[in-house]
Amino acid sequence: MGKDVFEIVVNCVKMLLIFLVMVQLVPILVWLERRVSAFMQNRFGPNRVGPLGLIQLLADAVKFLFKEPFFPEKGMAVMYYGAPIMALIPGALALAAIPLGAPFHLEQFTWLGREWGPYDFIMQGYDFGVGIVIVLGVSSLGAYSLLMAGWGSSNKYSLLGALRASAQMVSYELALGLSLVGILMVFNTFSFYDIIAQQTGMPLTFNFFGKVHSIAWLPNWGIFFNPLGALIFFCASFAETNRLPFDLPEAEGELVAGFHTEYGGFALLMFYIGEYGHMMVASALMATFYFGGYTIPYVANESVANWVSSGGLATHPNWAAFLTSLIFFLVFLLKVFLFLLIYIWVRWTLPRFRYDQLMDLGWKTMLPWALFNTVLTAVWLAFSHRPV
Amino acid sequence: MLSSADFLFYFLGLVSLVFGLGVVLFRNPIYSALCLVITMISVAGIFGTLDAWFIAGVQLIVYAGAVTVLFVMVLMLFDLKHEMKTFSKGVIGNGVKLAASGVLLGMLGTYIWATYATEPTFKPLPAAATSSIKATKDLATSLFTTYIFSFEVIGILLLVIAVGAVTLSRITGGTHHAD
Amino acid sequence: MSALLAFLIFVGILAGFGAFLIILSSSLGPRPKPNPAKNMPYESGVAGTETAESRVSVKFYLTAILFIIFDIEIIFMYPWALSFMDFVKSGQGMYILGAMGIFIFLFVVGLIWEVKSKALDWNR
Repeated sequence: MGKDVFEIVVNCVKMLLIFLVMVQLVPILVWLERRVSAFMQNRFGPNRVGPLGLIQLLADAVKFLFKEPFFPEKGMAVMYYGAPIMALIPGALALAAIPLGAPFHLEQFTWLGREWGPYDFIMQGYDFGVGIVIVLGVSSLGAYSLLMAGWGSSNKYSLLGALRASAQMVSYELALGLSLVGILMVFNTFSFYDIIAQQTGMPLTFNFFGKVHSIAWLPNWGIFFNPLGALIFFCASFAETNRLPFDLPEAEGELVAGFHTEYGGFALLMFYIGEYGHMMVASALMATFYFGGYTIPYVANESVANWVSSGGLATHPNWAAFLTSLIFFLVFLLKVFLFLLIYIWVRWTLPRFRYDQLMDLGWKTMLPWALFNTVLTAVWLAFSHRPV
Repeated sequence: MLSSADFLFYFLGLVSLVFGLGVVLFRNPIYSALCLVITMISVAGIFGTLDAWFIAGVQLIVYAGAVTVLFVMVLMLFDLKHEMKTFSKGVIGNGVKLAASGVLLGMLGTYIWATYATEPTFKPLPAAATSSIKATKDLATSLFTTYIFSFEVIGILLLVIAVGAVTLSRITGGTHHAD
Repeated sequence: MSALLAFLIFVGILAGFGAFLIILSSSLGPRPKPNPAKNMPYESGVAGTETAESRVSVKFYLTAILFIIFDIEIIFMYPWALSFMDFVKSGQGMYILGAMGIFIFLFVVGLIWEVKSKALDWNR
């Protein structure tokens, strides 16, 4: 029982830390988005509050807290207030399932006058063993936040925005789910740590009709095994997160502001946290499946650990293990940020689709190509299986 | 002392029961649909307590993430006051309601009666099925070897449903005015 | 099991945190007198003509039901993808390819039928 309680507490603390990381990254991302868009449009962007305008978002958050609370006259309170809460949950849960760094081992140590046994930590909030299936399941609940907001606001535009958003989300969920089948076939597992472990190691080695080839200067990343799947996954994730060029739910020329028309103040900010959380999940999945997760290309995992322990950074093996894991976490964060930058870049580059174009793209273009990718990967693997 | 597995089973069972009752008892269908979502999620959790994590994920993706989304969207399509009036009057309507609940009650009663006295015949889990991945692989193996025929039939069934849904959506009339 | 319990506790914490934020922000802000013009559903300044109860196109419904059908078909591909290499390594590669080949053929037939019947055309 005592061991159980300890495990539960550790898991909860880990998940809370991941959630806090997510919430803390949102202001930075908003700041980044505004600065990058200003750079692209030859403006300054927020640059007055604090160095480089970094404290702008803190000021905004405080201002949001002191906004007048508004509740629409005919709205339904449970759904109107439940929707922003519901927006937080799926993103945070999905992010907690993705490994953010290498697992590390702690030797027995004394702290607060007690012996603490040897522990193995995974840099992951929870691991049910089926990784990606749970992530897809949890993030498919994101549609309810939009539907609840649209229904609870009792506004025609909110309702239309919510319906559009959920129809778009479900349409692209098909392409998203199907594009992952190919890469799962290659790696032969659902577990994220196994997937990352198979992508470590330097020379890209693959089997082409019974002959083993290897390209020395390429890392063993998933994108080289399944480039079409990676492309479809990335495009579909734009639609899943309701980002431009797929931000039809909040097409301001047609729908005022879509499903959050009637929201203001902190509730609106919570929708943004949810949206950026979904972006982080998509970027993290992209990095995990196609770009080697937390591993560093051209550097073996062991040499990082050796560098930390021999470089005098940490004397105690526990600190060394922790620092090594921290380095991998920072590498993973860097990869995630690169994808988030692409999101921002695309948002300020491409115009919005029309709704029928959006549906055509999802159902008639991306779904068949994802299916083609699956069949192609299956045939390739059946005739020349990949050496492990 | 309750172990955490027992506690989880009773807790999730209670949640699914309470919200299942909510589905039936709420007057407003949108609240019923949201209760149904929570029921589905807690059923996924119960699958989780049985270490069937793949099934739990599928329950989340298909039932909580797709089927109930459809329900909620359908509720948005209807003019709810009009529908409620249409469905709560008339001898035929009441008769159909009684017949439907009678059939369901009969099925439930028969099932309880047929299985009441017999010993439950649980097959013990194979010792090898320890990890979730291994269990999912076992599931896949039996799905694609023993039950391959049923699997292909499901493909045909889904095709028929797709065709039928599109055909039905073309029909106007009933409580829907052609507009 | 403790992982699931921690997961549920975390969901509770998240919901509590969200509710706390909502309550905090709605208790801190000013509360001016209710104003009928402000409480109207927002429609860019003009008075609203339609309520949210007005019905919307059946196409959303059709999209959702087709989504369920294809979603179930895709879910069946996940265990297939997981055990594909095991079948290939035990020399049953052609069998597993054919088993899913028939299924994918039916999937494609369904998709082509949907496209040809213009069920997926938004501007019909």
